Amino acid sequence: MSNLKVNIAGVEFKNPIITASGTFGFGREYDRFYNIEELGGICTKGLTIKPKLGNPPPRIAESYGGMLNSVGLQNPGVDHYLQKDDLYLAKRDVVVIANVAGSTLDDYIAIAEKINGSKSDMVELNISCPNVKEGGMAFGVLPQSVERVTSAVKKACPNKPIITKLSPNVACIADNAKAAEAGGADAISLINTLSGMAVNYKTRKPILFNNNGGMSGPCVKPVALKMVWDCYNAVKIPIIGLGGITSYTDVLEFMICGARAVQVGTYNFNNPYGARDIAKDLATYVEENNMDINDLVGTLILNK
Amino acid sequence: MASLKDRIGVIKLNQKVAKDIYKMVLQFDDMPDDIKGGQFAHVKLNDKSHILRRPFCICDYDISAKTITLCYAVVGDGTKVLSSYEVGEKLQVMLPLGNGFTPDKNVKKVVLLGGGMGSAVLPAIPTSNPELEYYTYLGFANKEKVVLEEEMAKVSKQLTVATDDGSYGKKGFVTNILAEDMAKLKPDVVFCCGPEVMYKALKKALEPFDVPIIVSLEARMGCGIGACLVCNCKVKRAGEEETYVRVCVEGPVMKLSEVVL
Ligand SMILES: Cc1cc2nc3c(=O)[nH]c(=O)nc-3n(C[C@H](O)[C@H](O)[C@H](O)COP(=O)(O)OP(=O)(O)OC[C@H]3O[C@@H](n4cnc5c(N)ncnc54)[C@H](O)[C@@H]3O)c2cc1C
Ligand SMILES: Cc1cc2nc3c(=O)[nH]c(=O)nc-3n(C[C@H](O)[C@H](O)[C@H](O)COP(=O)(O)O)c2cc1C
Ligand code: FES
Repeated sequence: MSNLKVNIAGVEFKNPIITASGTFGFGREYDRFYNIEELGGICTKGLTIKPKLGNPPPRIAESYGGMLNSVGLQNPGVDHYLQKDDLYLAKRDVVVIANVAGSTLDDYIAIAEKINGSKSDMVELNISCPNVKEGGMAFGVLPQSVERVTSAVKKACPNKPIITKLSPNVACIADNAKAAEAGGADAISLINTLSGMAVNYKTRKPILFNNNGGMSGPCVKPVALKMVWDCYNAVKIPIIGLGGITSYTDVLEFMICGARAVQVGTYNFNNPYGARDIAKDLATYVEENNMDINDLVGTLILNK
Repeated sequence: MASLKDRIGVIKLNQKVAKDIYKMVLQFDDMPDDIKGGQFAHVKLNDKSHILRRPFCICDYDISAKTITLCYAVVGDGTKVLSSYEVGEKLQVMLPLGNGFTPDKNVKKVVLLGGGMGSAVLPAIPTSNPELEYYTYLGFANKEKVVLEEEMAKVSKQLTVATDDGSYGKKGFVTNILAEDMAKLKPDVVFCCGPEVMYKALKKALEPFDVPIIVSLEARMGCGIGACLVCNCKVKRAGEEETYVRVCVEGPVMKLSEVVL
């Protein structure tokens, strides 16, 4: 019997396709294209304790086979989420993952306490934001701070499985995966965006107002696959893989490298049905091959 | 909420109409019947290297022929690719998106003001609101860039074309030419699309006249439907703090008085 269901930290997903944070709002917009319940899960826009205005425009630039963004975490704040979107999403038959961010440890604890009482199924920790108290270096850079923020959130939010979302802009992502595991993470997701720049040769200025941005889309996939494999070999907790996924074969590649589920981000912009189509294609593949998708996880055969 | 759809448009025409400017006609089997002038189409390119769609305003449309017209300038890589497509090529298009121009009930006399490629937004407005009277002003850099003159002549009571260098039509900035005519025109509203510098000039030039100015804004876009928050524009509404709104949903059409330029 074929099977497309996956289980991450006790939470069952009807298929391994989740939409990535920041690319899918709170699900309402894409719900107008298709029923979002066809997805395994959705990840919300990054939430902060207070509403955040984000960066001035331009916030987006294209690169070959990809894009850069510098939204700067614009969001209505966690209280607004709890009053509106949390309730809207709770009624839907889809796993809801609240993505949270902060610029101090206290921010993370405060938001984790609030999400603990929410209806969302899981929490994803975005640790790529600059930590204002530690000189602006992101929480996600040093293994010690990855462990510290993960364990603080785990304590503040005991009701929900915690997914620590790893940044690729680090010395050794496997070390950070281990740090998240040591901090009590129930799962990890990777990769967040790669730091990059887009430049206008005529004006000699960066295109993004913020100068730098995060790169995503098909061009980052090879980097993401390698990092998922490295982390798979470093930790026991389940991995959610993402970065540049645009087809069901991309999903198969991520799962072979060790991901138990995946997220689809930038591709939603290219094809508004993208995440749903990938889930459908994956279902067809699994049926045709009469397989359990879980049997693929981590089955990469190295050449030597 | 109303449902949204990504549609397949077949290219019926893709023709150069001025220097670096093309007109494209797309036909849809499932043509939407609720298009408003000022709304836009989000067009996917047929190659994988361009992951982002390109937004273009729906220059004009014909519900019975099931077609929309786009008028676009080749300014970069994506529009260059678009200009290379041949008749018969199929494109994925999300439409109609954004809010569009919605004239108040008491409006009768409308000034349409276009600056350069911004003129592309204008033809669909009379198509959506045929009962109104249009006085049209189009401004271009030079003769080589003049587009949509014929189209606008058909639907306007009066049409003025100007070029910055005087190589065609009247010489000078079209905002100043409009300002000179304002006292005798007394329009109920001004609908305008052009570059941001034009909006600054317009605000100043029309200050003495008590007329609402409604503009269409451009922003770099991702999703085009309100989910990704990359298309932000700063607005200041009466009694509220400055804030960002999404050009793809709360716009592209906005009151000039509320836009923070
Ligand atoms: C609502 C709306 C309506 C528009 N209507 C028209 C129209 O009718 N005719 C027309 O010629 N142009 C129009 N534009 C501008 C048009 O979208 C850009 O010229 C086009 O996207 C440039 O693509 P490119 O690949 O050639 O340029 P590149 O510079 O190579 O594009 C790189 C990226 O930047 C984006 N981008 C670059 N310039 C702009 C811009 N001015 N506005 C928005 N995104 C930009 C592109 O979409 C792409 O994602 C409109 C823009 C918006 C937002
Ligand atoms: C416009 C945009 C906004 C994003 N916002 C967030 C965010 O708020 N929180 C977060 O953890 N990741 C955010 N991301 C990163 C994505 O969730 C994802 O990690 C990344 O885009 C790689 O996947 P992709 O190549 O499939 O897009 C954002 C990405 C984009 C393109
Ligand atoms: S383009 Fe995504 S919110 Fe406007």
